[in-house]
Formats: sequence, C-alpha cells, structure tokens
Amino acid sequence: MRKIWTILILHLMAFFKSPGVLVLMFVMPVLFSGIFGGMTMNSEQNKPIVNVVLSDTENSGQILNLLAKDQHYEWKKATRQEAEKNVAAQDVAAAVVIPDDIGERISASKPLLDIIVQRKNESYLALSAHLEGTAGLVLRSYQATSKLDSDAFPKVLETITNNKGVTVEKQTIQKDKQTNVEANLMFVGFAMMFMMFGLSGAASTILEERMGGTWGRLMVSPASKLQIILGYLLAYFFMGWTQFAILMTTMNLMFATTWGNLTYLIPFASLVILSVVGFGLMIAGLVKTKQQASAISAVLIVSTCMLGGVYWPIDIVPELMQKIALGVPQSWAMSGFKEIISGSLHSATLMKDTLALVGFSAIFFFIGLRGIKFE
Amino acid sequence: MNMLTVQDLRKSFGSFEAVKGVNFSVEKGESYGLLGPNGAGKSTTINMITGLFPPNSGEIKIKDIDVIKNPKQAQKWIGVVPQEIALYQSMSARENLKFWGRMYDLSGSELEKSVDRVLEIIGLTERAKDKVSTFSGGMKRRVNIGAAILHKPELLIMDEPTVGIDPQSRNHILETVKHLNGEGMTIIYTSHYMEEVEYLCERIGIVDHGQLIASGTLSELRETIGDHSKIILSIDKESSNLEGLAQSLTGLFSEKDIQIQEQQVMVFHKEPQLILTDFIQSVAKTGTKITSVNIVEPNLESVFLHLTGRNLRD
Repeated sequence: MRKIWTILILHLMAFFKSPGVLVLMFVMPVLFSGIFGGMTMNSEQNKPIVNVVLSDTENSGQILNLLAKDQHYEWKKATRQEAEKNVAAQDVAAAVVIPDDIGERISASKPLLDIIVQRKNESYLALSAHLEGTAGLVLRSYQATSKLDSDAFPKVLETITNNKGVTVEKQTIQKDKQTNVEANLMFVGFAMMFMMFGLSGAASTILEERMGGTWGRLMVSPASKLQIILGYLLAYFFMGWTQFAILMTTMNLMFATTWGNLTYLIPFASLVILSVVGFGLMIAGLVKTKQQASAISAVLIVSTCMLGGVYWPIDIVPELMQKIALGVPQSWAMSGFKEIISGSLHSATLMKDTLALVGFSAIFFFIGLRGIKFE
Repeated sequence: MNMLTVQDLRKSFGSFEAVKGVNFSVEKGESYGLLGPNGAGKSTTINMITGLFPPNSGEIKIKDIDVIKNPKQAQKWIGVVPQEIALYQSMSARENLKFWGRMYDLSGSELEKSVDRVLEIIGLTERAKDKVSTFSGGMKRRVNIGAAILHKPELLIMDEPTVGIDPQSRNHILETVKHLNGEGMTIIYTSHYMEEVEYLCERIGIVDHGQLIASGTLSELRETIGDHSKIILSIDKESSNLEGLAQSLTGLFSEKDIQIQEQQVMVFHKEPQLILTDFIQSVAKTGTKITSVNIVEPNLESVFLHLTGRNLRD
C-alpha cells in the first residue's frame, strides 16, 4: 500500500506543479462554464420586449394583465406609432394590438388580437402560441358573460388573471427548472471534455517514462506491476475528482447551481471519471509516443463529445445520430447526469447508464492494460 | 559462494537473436565486467538478469533465487543503474532519492539516513535540494547511481553508467564504484570503454553478437593473444620506402609479427625493450623518416581485436 501511495503522491505533485495541466483541467472548464453558463443565465434575465397598444378601457387593461402572466416577455405599453417604429428598428420582439371592439370582432369571427412583427422568428412562434391561448380565454370569457352585465366580462378576466393555477404560470415554472438542468449539464459536459483531454495527456506520461527510463526502473524495483499501475491510475482518478469537485463548487458559487442528490451523484461521477481514466490508459496503450497520443486523443475526444451530447442536447440531433451516440460513453454519462441533476430520477434509466459506463470502462481498461508494456 | 549464476541464456526479438546462450557466474564481493561494442547484447543480458523481461530459455539465479520464477524476491537484493538517466527531472535530488528509497521499502528515519549517506557518497550533499533538471550530465549520472544504492544492495548492476559525461565526473563515478566494491558490494559493470572495465573489474567477460566469446581475469585474457606488446613507429609518408622496409624487417622478425602501413610500421613482441633499437635502426637504414615511437602493452582492445577481428568501437 505504501508503494501505491508513494507513486500516487509523486504523480499528484507533478500534476499540480504543471501549469499546462492546471490550465487544461481547471482554468479552461471553469472559464468555458463561466462564459457559456453566464450567457445562458443572462438570456433568462434579458427578456424580449413586447409593445402593447391598447385603449384606456377596463377590458383592454385586463387583457394586458392576462398577457403579462407570461413572464418570459417584458410587456410595455406604447402607442401604435411608437410600436411600429420599435418593431421596425428591432428594439422590440413584437407589438400586440388589443382592439377596443372586442365584441364586434367576436361577432364577425375576426382575430381578437393583432400582432406586428418584422420577422417570424423563434421568439414570434413562442409569443403567438401564448397570444392564441390568451385570445381563447378572452373569447370563452366573453361568450360566458355575453348575457350578463357589461361589468361581468372584465371581472371574469380579472379572476382568471389572479388565478395562480393557470397554465401559463405552470409552464413558466417548468421551463426555469429545465433551463437550470441544461446549464448544469453544460458545466458537466465541459468538465468531462477537459477531463478527457487532461487525463489522456496524464496517462500518456507512461510513454514518456518508458522512454526516459523511470518506468523500467520501477519495473525492476520490488514494487509489483499491480502496485505500480494502481499508483498511476489512482493518481489520475484523484486528478479527475479534484477537477470535478472544483468545477461543481465554482459553478455553485457563481450561478447557485444545484447538482441533485449527492448519494447518486458521487458514485455516478466516480464511474464517469473511472471511464475517462480508462480511456486515457487505452490511448497510452495503443500508441508509441506522447505526440501520437495527443493527436489521437484530440480527434477521438472532440468527435465523441459531439456525438455524445456534450456540446448540445442529444434530443435535437436526428434519430440516426442518437442511435450512433449510444456507441460513445459520453451519451450515457450525460444521460445519467441529467437524471440525477433534474431530480426526476428514474432508477431504471440510471441503472442502464451505469451498466453501459461499467462496460465501456471494462473495455478501455482491458485494451489499455494489454497495450501497456510492463518492461 | 555465487552471487549470480547465468546459464545458457537466450533471447530473441522476432527473428533477431540478441543473446545466444550466455553462461557466466559472479562470486560474492567480486567485480565483473561485461565488455562489448554497442549492440553486442550486454544490455539485453542485464535486463534479463534484473528481471525486466524474461529470457526465451536459460536460467538466472541471484543468491539462489530463481529470477525468472520470483523476480520481485530477487529484485530486493539488487540495485540497478540503467543506461538512461532514470530520474524525475522536475524533482530535486533528495526527492528523487526518497522516492526510489520508498520503492525499496525504506521509510522514516532509515530512509532519511540512507538518503544523507548516499548524497555524501555521490558528492551532492550541497546540491540535494536542487532540481535534477538543473544538474550537469555527470551530476545526473551520480544521482542515477545513488538511487540504486540506497537500500545497500548486495549486487549492483551498472549498465554503461558513464556514457556521455566529462572526465571529472567519470573519475568520480569510477572511484565510487571502486569504493562500493571495496565495502563488499558485488558489482556487474557493462561498458564499451575497456579502460573502465580494466580499472574496475577483477574478471571480465567479452560479449559480441550475443555471445560471451571470452571470460577471465585481465591477465588470462591477455594470454589469449600471447601477451605480445605492440611497437608502433609512425613514419613520414613522403620519405617512406615500403618495399625496402619489408625486406629489412623480415630479416629480423617473423612475417606474422610485422604490419606495414602507409604511415605506420608495427611489430608484435613479448619483450619490446630488447628489440626496440634493432627495429628503429632497420627502419632508419631504408631512408624512412621516423616521426614517433610508441609501445602499447597488450590490452582488452587488442584482445577484442584478436578475438573478433574488429575494434571495440567499430
């Protein structure tokens, strides 16, 4: 055990003394997560503005209140002239006109709300869905109160607005949570990619040591092969965990991110790190020089991270690509992390992800240990 | 008592047979040299003895421990100085020695004492805290040796430990090895520098093309060439009369003891002082101008030349 510990400490010390490795393993993922995480969070804070053109009637005011239930937009009153000018200048995402003649429009089966946009972009599509829903509510409220007093219609609209159980509010809560999960997965993805670069580079030091003679010297010492390889692998494992822990803490401090149930997260992250260590060992076992290892690692890491949903959600890629993604460990790792971080944990899914990663790790270690020359 | 016994050792790399049935033994406290040109099979033999890789066939025993069956048990008794500077360059000399000491089960105050003792032996106490990367080639070689003697091995195996260093560091290393051997440590020393092997080793094995072609003490090996010294007369190329020289010298010496070249005339003889005057006069009579005279005692170089027909550094 003492020999394993000695080798482990030696490599951890070398690791923490190496500026290149520190930048790759800590600075880069924190920087990337900070920049892209910040952008994601800011996109939530910088809501698109929608101008609302309305008359000074109670009905119009209540419809505006109903529209403003969707907090993804900033609803600002404007005159028609101002609104058209703002839309033309792209200062606002769109303008909504609430007409005075609601009753006449309903009778004539005309659209209840007018929308002014310059381009039908993503923002317009989301807004139009909300406008359709609101118009439907207005229509049903008007029909329900058509035989009652004229005050009844705005009162119904007010009641609906004050009702917290309306669909719009519910959707908003779900979307915020989803956004956080996606941002957290992005942090995990960056951590995993840079960990793969860092640890595959670290594992290829075995090749350098073979050339330099220290590997051979270790082999002719009384330390067994098992002790030597365990010393190296445990050092890489601790490097991986240090990186992951630092990234988790930093992101928590910067963006108040949550990481789900630690009881599941810690063992699953350990398994992911183990498979990354195995990947590094496999590269070291397949090539002859550190330069070859760097070149092959770069190609394999970038391509498999793309396939495995590290850079973007795997759900948005074509079905064929999603099937191909099953052949890379990153897709299983991201799926498992998503399960844990989202909080809606399905044991069966997590178990499937875990078993897949165990399989990948076993293959990587088998190839790596067969390839490494213990002489 | 034999410290090391090597019997019929063979090793091939693909179709290339690197070691072809090597046999030798080294007694406790002895210093044994393996001499041979680069690529002769010395390092392959050493690597098999240290247990780095197994032979295809043969037997290796260190203190009666079968190295092939129990390499880790045997490795406790040996110290290995590899040909490469097998050290961590970013670490200090002391850190390196402590690391390698721990690999040989040293710890605590015993480790500290060993490191201090070794730093003194290799003459680097003052530079103990400096990074190895800042050392000269000779200093690195000394730390390389230090890392192998921390645990006071009974058998020290050194594979070309003086390659590429300055004469001063080489002398320091040779003196260190002599000192360690004087303290009772058994030494196996491989080199292609015959002077080092002559100076350090009681017995010498000459290796060529994967075979041990001769083995014995220096005087025993000299005997194989009849213990003849070589008188070399350097001559002026312009004034030399090669035909006249051949006629003049064959009257004095037998033909097999004479070698005439464009700028050198050589005669092999057991007692060079007795024939030196006659030799010089015979050459001078032909009108050839002599520029220098040199008498070379029989050495390992001439033994190797005699045995293989090649120079050691060919």
